[in-house]
Amino acid sequence: MNAWTHEARLLVRSRPDVAALVLLLALSTLAVLAGLREAARQQHTLAHLAQLQQQVLQDQAAKLTRAGEAGTAAYYTFHDTWDAPSPAAFLALGLRDATPYVLRVRALALQAQLHEGETFNPELALAGRFDYAFVLVYLAPLVLIALLYDLVSGERRAGRLGLLLALPGGSGRGLWLRRAGLRAGLALGGLLLPVLIAALWQGMPGLLLAGVVAATTAYVLFWAALSVVLATRIASPAASATALVGGWVLLTLLLPTLANAVLARAVPVHQGVDLMLAQRQAVHGGWDEPREATLQRFFSGHPQWQHSTALPAGFSWKWYYAFQQLGDESVAEAFQAYRASLLARQQWTARLGWLLPGVGVQTALHRQAQTDLQAQLAYQDDIAAFHARLRQYYYPYLFDERRFTRHDFAAQPRFTASPRPEDAAALSLAGLAAAALVAAALAWRWPTRAGWPDRR
Amino acid sequence: MTAAVPVAHAAPAARPRPGGMVRRIAQEEWRLLRRDKVAMPALVLLLMLLVAAAFTAWDSQRNAEAQRSRYQAQAHEDFESQPDRHPHRMVHYGHFVFRPLSPLAAFDPGVDGYTGHTLYLEGHRQNSANFGDVRQSSLLLRFGQLTPAFVLQVLAPLLLVFIGHASVARERESGTLRVLLAQGLRPGQLVAGKLLALGGVAALMLLPAAVALAAITVTTTAPAGLAALLLAAHGLWLALWVLAVVAVSAWLPRGRDALVALLAAWACSVVLVPRLAPEAAASLQALPTRFETDIQVARELAALGDSHNPDDPYFSAFKRQVLAQYGVSRVEDLPVNYKGLLGMEGERLTSELFNRHAAESFGRQATQLQWVDRFALLSPVLALRRVSMAAAGTDLASYRRFVEQAEQYRYRLVQALNQLQAEKVQFAQDKSTRDVRIGREHWHGLADFSFTPPPVADALRRAAPAAGVLLGWAGVLALLLAAATRRLGRMVR
Repeated sequence: MNAWTHEARLLVRSRPDVAALVLLLALSTLAVLAGLREAARQQHTLAHLAQLQQQVLQDQAAKLTRAGEAGTAAYYTFHDTWDAPSPAAFLALGLRDATPYVLRVRALALQAQLHEGETFNPELALAGRFDYAFVLVYLAPLVLIALLYDLVSGERRAGRLGLLLALPGGSGRGLWLRRAGLRAGLALGGLLLPVLIAALWQGMPGLLLAGVVAATTAYVLFWAALSVVLATRIASPAASATALVGGWVLLTLLLPTLANAVLARAVPVHQGVDLMLAQRQAVHGGWDEPREATLQRFFSGHPQWQHSTALPAGFSWKWYYAFQQLGDESVAEAFQAYRASLLARQQWTARLGWLLPGVGVQTALHRQAQTDLQAQLAYQDDIAAFHARLRQYYYPYLFDERRFTRHDFAAQPRFTASPRPEDAAALSLAGLAAAALVAAALAWRWPTRAGWPDRR
Repeated sequence: MTAAVPVAHAAPAARPRPGGMVRRIAQEEWRLLRRDKVAMPALVLLLMLLVAAAFTAWDSQRNAEAQRSRYQAQAHEDFESQPDRHPHRMVHYGHFVFRPLSPLAAFDPGVDGYTGHTLYLEGHRQNSANFGDVRQSSLLLRFGQLTPAFVLQVLAPLLLVFIGHASVARERESGTLRVLLAQGLRPGQLVAGKLLALGGVAALMLLPAAVALAAITVTTTAPAGLAALLLAAHGLWLALWVLAVVAVSAWLPRGRDALVALLAAWACSVVLVPRLAPEAAASLQALPTRFETDIQVARELAALGDSHNPDDPYFSAFKRQVLAQYGVSRVEDLPVNYKGLLGMEGERLTSELFNRHAAESFGRQATQLQWVDRFALLSPVLALRRVSMAAAGTDLASYRRFVEQAEQYRYRLVQALNQLQAEKVQFAQDKSTRDVRIGREHWHGLADFSFTPPPVADALRRAAPAAGVLLGWAGVLALLLAAATRRLGRMVR
């Protein structure tokens, strides 16, 4: 009889094992469905908002162009920007619940608008999402532990261990690996089946899907191998279960939490507030400075508008937008520093993923799903690029004092999201794979027969 | 049973009292625990972790608080040192307020990392709080924060499971249970002894938290009642696990079965359900985006009227009413600046709208939380979190309180500035907000914002239903334990 079918038959007869595998499949399906639903909801919201925005613009067009002043139109027209969920976003919803994926901006100083928050329920965000990433990171290891912790001791309890070891084939490595491999393989299948179906249905790019499959496989391999290592070296089932669950707590709950505390202290991010305070001083101080001096300062950085006629008495839009831009420029360096420290946190987290597979798989999945801090910063870059285009569009009307017509209103630039390159998160995957291979190598180095944990 | 009789006859005075038996069983359990090579290091590790958590949480809370009050002072000074200006320029200059951290946030920071703490207040707008840690911290924050609440809520029950799952089962598996009962020990005494032993371990786990809470209460303005509530709720939470662990250990035939069952219960109640519940709540009650709300507000405002349009029905009625009130026929003849009055009326209208929408949004969020609370019947940790965050002043309701106070303050500030425009700037000259200015001394005293924390009774009221759920769980588990104890007696007989 084929050894694999025999093994499968044994597995089917073990009701707790079958229950654990079915549970994993059910949880993974549920998580994928919840993720799809949320991604669809966000898409729907985006479509709805785009429609709403069109209506608002139509309603405003006549009123804002009546006087023919570009300044008025620029002041009152909000433009929509958006960050649509990527084709893999349903797997790992990441920061999308707590950060805006739509933001309205206008041609005033950008720094006062860019950090605006979104309405969300912080208590719900606090718990974290129930998505595929969660099932994989937290629950899959528990199922693997339940399936494998008494790999050897279970045989002893059944009284078969001696017999099995006496069988031709020596240490019985093939048997154990077959047994562990079958269970881990089925667990992997239970995790990936809903993902594959959803990915095909969503038309997820092949590279991303390969990345998700690789991350999942590496993580499952890591936990299966770790379970085998401990189950074959610790005699009592209770002790190996304790050690494995202890390891799970350490790797998925405790160490990442400790690391977060350390990282928050090592890379402090206060500059965000400083940025806001400094920017406000610059912009509002603009009202008190001599207008000509402000405009000259602007022209020295943007000589293409130098030819503009002298300021009229009273209020002038071109002076107004010039000092708005100067306000942004005055904090440009601070903003870069702020961004850099955010990215540093992200990088340290990715490096931590080399040591902690739970963090590694989180990093890889969220990178692939483009729902992490980096994706949020990329969205901010898109907003900034659009905002720059918006300024460029308005400045000829302002500085050349051209009439702003209804046609010009309709021809205003529209936000476009820059194409996000598919990112398989190769570096994180490599770290994850390394951890999995080390664990697998340890599992492969079977204790010799003399070293079998035979005492009870 | 008869075997015990001669012993009793031989030395009736030496027979231990029931309480003494319970204590001896507990002492025996503790002796075993001390010798256990896995449990003891784990317990020591947990206690060290608790101390570290208490220290880091306290330290980072102190830093955050110092930083926020420094920023608040700076914003205050910035506001007061603004030069002579048109009051309307000050309306747009606005003010920053920083959400102060409640002292007990060191124990349970709750939503603090998610809400942001910087609020920019300006005229005609309600901004959201910014720079929440969640937007600035990669994804690690989602794994949890190292605080005493995290350690007690998530890790401590797990350790209780490992330490206690075999407490009764071990006696049965090794056959000592039969001997003990044969010697006249009642099942209730045995179970009480095991409870005492595991309860002692739980009390030990609670000790660092108690010391930390006492320190917070002594060194800060934290109300002692709320600190006591925090301690009591977490004590009750650990008691739930002590009851559950001993009951399952007494019920199931083998220690390993008890371990597997308890681990599954822990994984479901502490890891799985707390994530499923918010998911369900969010899909049952979705929140509109800020984008939609802003547009809706703008539309409702436009429907009210346009203050720049001389023929607008609403604002011409307002003008007539003002003129009638002062008994003049032209705005130029008013003793006050009509533009200032118009600003005040506009601000009143916009704020009314903003507040209505904000209240609606908070109302929806409260409904979401009610859904989550229903899941506490499946997973008591949800009830515990509700009590804990309410007592620590770090739940959504506390955040809402801050936002609403800040909004009231914003309204007062903007209206005070509008009033300055009405009273100090003459209508005839009020052509340009750049050229017409009033003295800087007028900004003094306007920038004072101080958050009034909610009365203790408020937190207690919010925590009460969830505390009731926790007590209900304790009752159910006590009944389960009683049943398991009775079963223990029957099984051996």
